[in-house]
Amino acid sequence: MRIVRGLILTALAGIGLYLLAFARNAGPEDARGRVVVTYWEKWTGNEAEQMQEIVRDFNDTVGKDKGIYVRYLSMSNITQKTLVSTAAGVPPDVAGLWDAQVPQFAAIDAVEPLDELATEYGITPDLYKPVYWKGCTYEGKLYGLISTPAAAALHYNKSLFLERADRLRAAGLDPNRPPRTLDELDRYSEALDVTETDAVGKKRIRAAGHLPLEPGQWMPHMPYWFGGSVYDEKTGRLTLTRPEVVRTYDWVRSYSVRLGKDAMTDFTSGFGQFNSTQNAFLSGAVAMEQEGPWMANFIEDLKPSMNRRKFPKEQEKGMSPEERRENYEWGAAPFPSAVPGLDDVTFAAFDVLMIPKGAKHKKEAFEFIAYVNRQDVMEKLTSLHCKNSPLHRVSAGYLRNHPNPYIDVFERLAASPNAHGVPPVPIWPEVSDELTVTTQKIYLLQATPEDALADAQKRLQAKLDAFRARQRLRKGGAQ
Amino acid sequence: MTSFSSGERHRLRQGLAFLSPWIVGFLTFLLIPVGLSFYFSFCDYSLLQPPAFIGLANYRELMTDPVFWQSLRNTLTYAAMALPAGLMVSLGLALLLNQKVAGQSIFRTVVFLPSLVPTVASAMLWLWLFNTKLGLINTMLETPPFAALIRGLNAVLGVLHLPGVQPPIGWLTDPAFALPALAFMSVWGVGQTVVIYLAGLQDVPKELLEASELDGANAGQRLWNVTLPMLSPVIFFNLIMAIIGSLQEFSGPYIMTGGGPARATYFFTMYLYDNAFTYLKMGYASAMAWIQLLLILALTAIAFRTSKHWVHYQTK
Amino acid sequence: MSRKPNPLGNMIVLVALLILCLGFALPFLWMMSTSLKTLDRTMAMPPQWVPDPIVPQNYVKVLQNPKLNFPLLTRNTLMVAVLSVLGTTLSSSLVAYGFARIRFKGNSTLFGLMLATMMIPFPVIMVPLFTVFRWLGDHTGVPLLGTLTPLWLPSWFGSAFNIFMLRQFFLTLPMELSEAAQLDGCSEFGIFRRIVLPLSRPALAVVALFTFMGAWNDFLGPLVYLQDPGQYTLALGLQTFQSQHGGTEWNLLMAASVLVISPVILLFFLAQRTFIQGIATTGMK
Repeated sequence: MRIVRGLILTALAGIGLYLLAFARNAGPEDARGRVVVTYWEKWTGNEAEQMQEIVRDFNDTVGKDKGIYVRYLSMSNITQKTLVSTAAGVPPDVAGLWDAQVPQFAAIDAVEPLDELATEYGITPDLYKPVYWKGCTYEGKLYGLISTPAAAALHYNKSLFLERADRLRAAGLDPNRPPRTLDELDRYSEALDVTETDAVGKKRIRAAGHLPLEPGQWMPHMPYWFGGSVYDEKTGRLTLTRPEVVRTYDWVRSYSVRLGKDAMTDFTSGFGQFNSTQNAFLSGAVAMEQEGPWMANFIEDLKPSMNRRKFPKEQEKGMSPEERRENYEWGAAPFPSAVPGLDDVTFAAFDVLMIPKGAKHKKEAFEFIAYVNRQDVMEKLTSLHCKNSPLHRVSAGYLRNHPNPYIDVFERLAASPNAHGVPPVPIWPEVSDELTVTTQKIYLLQATPEDALADAQKRLQAKLDAFRARQRLRKGGAQ
Repeated sequence: MTSFSSGERHRLRQGLAFLSPWIVGFLTFLLIPVGLSFYFSFCDYSLLQPPAFIGLANYRELMTDPVFWQSLRNTLTYAAMALPAGLMVSLGLALLLNQKVAGQSIFRTVVFLPSLVPTVASAMLWLWLFNTKLGLINTMLETPPFAALIRGLNAVLGVLHLPGVQPPIGWLTDPAFALPALAFMSVWGVGQTVVIYLAGLQDVPKELLEASELDGANAGQRLWNVTLPMLSPVIFFNLIMAIIGSLQEFSGPYIMTGGGPARATYFFTMYLYDNAFTYLKMGYASAMAWIQLLLILALTAIAFRTSKHWVHYQTK
Repeated sequence: MSRKPNPLGNMIVLVALLILCLGFALPFLWMMSTSLKTLDRTMAMPPQWVPDPIVPQNYVKVLQNPKLNFPLLTRNTLMVAVLSVLGTTLSSSLVAYGFARIRFKGNSTLFGLMLATMMIPFPVIMVPLFTVFRWLGDHTGVPLLGTLTPLWLPSWFGSAFNIFMLRQFFLTLPMELSEAAQLDGCSEFGIFRRIVLPLSRPALAVVALFTFMGAWNDFLGPLVYLQDPGQYTLALGLQTFQSQHGGTEWNLLMAASVLVISPVILLFFLAQRTFIQGIATTGMK
């Protein structure tokens, strides 16, 4: 035993010493005297590889001509790391963050304003779909440019509609099209629900038409579909107690009441993670969901059969998007609004490239950001990521060859006057977290929407006021 | 000062010489950062802009922040469940692992395993175990023996006019169960505590146990009258470590519930972390950290107070 | 304790241990099982304990992953772990000796202060510490940020937990030993080096092992201080398989985790006796 022990320990030590002595970093890529721009990005996996392809393209063309080399680094906890390194004076030159960080970082001077550089490069607001350009600005200044955007739309399972066609027809609904008003969505949903009572007399849900909280990441923006918003830009105040917002949460509550909150939590606990075949939409547990255009890519990866309803993939070549749609078990359409006449409502989310304060190569960094925002490059990137384009102009080939056959739906939604982004609230992450909790309280029937929203409004408005007062004090003190 | 004899001065110089690495480290890597954080707790500080002094505003805001109080309440409730459970289970395990049985070293290693498995991995497993619909725990509760047990429990609860338990239980989705579920899970991470107990058990003098056995004491009496008193300093040490640990509980629950449902498992350290790195309110977070530090110090001081009555030192 | 072998009692203990240990082995078994699954089976509900099909290629994939230079990650981790172990055993024992064996005014005050430092939550000092390293780098001309140094440097100045353990151990060594040596003209440092240290090998082994494991598994430190993937440690490298949007390759993550923790498990298994006796003699009193 002792000998074995000694042998194993020696072997471990030997391996350790060997590695200490001989393991080497392959060394950073050959930048040949070019200016190295460090670029931190949140993506890993496929999305990271696709972005790296764009980086390679840049390094081989524009970068080569202008003596710039972009070094892509996948970074976990990127918001935190960007922040800490910026504070310590060693930030990356380009940081790939989320839309919510634009107002948040801009308000505390964590990022460089980009207006002058944008003008110099001929990048103007009219090149973009308004909602995205607006999302990149804060208090009239530009702080970032898009890397990839998205628009939220209703995804519905055509096969399930047909499977339960009798029930839909019995409710006076057409199984061959998606709902067009929110009221209709509720009726479709009820007709598509499959519930049963088990031996002990407890209600169990087998399948659902729609659940407001599945997947639920856009819940804080849901009031847009009710003609309201949680923030009033004119007064700069949060508006959580406005009737439209209360109505939104009444709607959420109505699902808990109708389906039973216990039956509902029990049912949703059986869903797998987003990126698995047990995803509620992919497994058929939920027939209608709100999702972004990337869903086509996820389905292709995880459950390709849903993208091959009639014929093999190869046959899609040369077909128009309309013809291709026949081959998909699912469809995408605008998520219906609760207000008659309010059409094409969407929440427009995006990933953003920003230059942290104190970055060493500001100009070179912008060269890369501008490259990503070129029409051809942007179309390549968003096709790879399976997202829509943030740019006003899109080429015909883009719409035709995009991996998502419904891309025109997303394009239309993103360009719509009823497309809204993250409200320009400097404390948005805090607002968003509080709204998530408020939603849970309402959904678990712990509080009425009125009470829960009033509490949230009081707490958040106080935080927002305090934040503003301190920023004013700070600016006043500096002058 | 004048009363320093030359011998004392010499010893002081020597003592400080030996302590010098720690003193230097303490000043650079602890005192400066801690001092800075104390200063930040009186500031509006986002990390990016220079800190601006705002007096007691952060502390005042905390006092009226319902989320602060809720996270504090959650943490204390959790600690009140996890701490005694952890201490008792680890002691019981240590007593078992101290028996000379075949495969002793394998058993010891296995008990230590959960403390080595990365948090993401164990969090994933527990998410499944606790799953309402498909989890192992609820599946088990539906088997006849457990179902009968629950019926019995419900009968008792009914007599007491309390609401009954109705499986399937939403371990992590029902606010009433989420905190106990996490406390239950924490018992798994007792490996290090067990190792320290085991070490303590090696120090219980065999002669005392033998003498006690000759006096006719049975195993239970030997445990109560000899082993536990001899072990009390170790129990005390583990108690202090557990107080520190349970009040700082963070990563597992953060990955598993993110503080939900409806903040039922939102712990103090989560709110601190969110304030610092998600909401960029370093000043506010620093104020929280100081309250946490004072709380830990207060609880430890109470533990030290009571220790006189139950901790027995072998040699004094 | 079981002086008189009692077969029945032994049996009960064994069965109890088997059941309990099964419970404690669950996470590890789960990890092993997941590491051998295909990706779509990792999240199957109800879960599979025995993978079907079994995919040992996951391990090959992890070791050959171009974005994850495993030898390099191991080297970085070893570097941090070894330097931390060296630093902390040297400095902590020195400081512990001062606390345990030299009676000077203020000794107990300083000791109390040191114990109190164990209660400071790390997130509190994380950010200011970053500033300190930057300042040190700027003023010594040796860049510290963006290197492995911040991860091991503090351990060269003693760690409270280790100092505390070693002090308790040094206290149990008879004072007469030192007095005799002093009469022979031995200096305080000489006593420390020639008498106390050699007698304290088990306690030092414990400190070394605890530190090694801590450094091996540390996640938060590397997360904050390291930016260049060429400097990542194993714990941080594991993140490569975890995505923020979903898309986590659980099977590969688990395979990598198994690879990362198995040396430590082996080390614990081989050393647990020394380990437990090592702490035993420190007493914790």
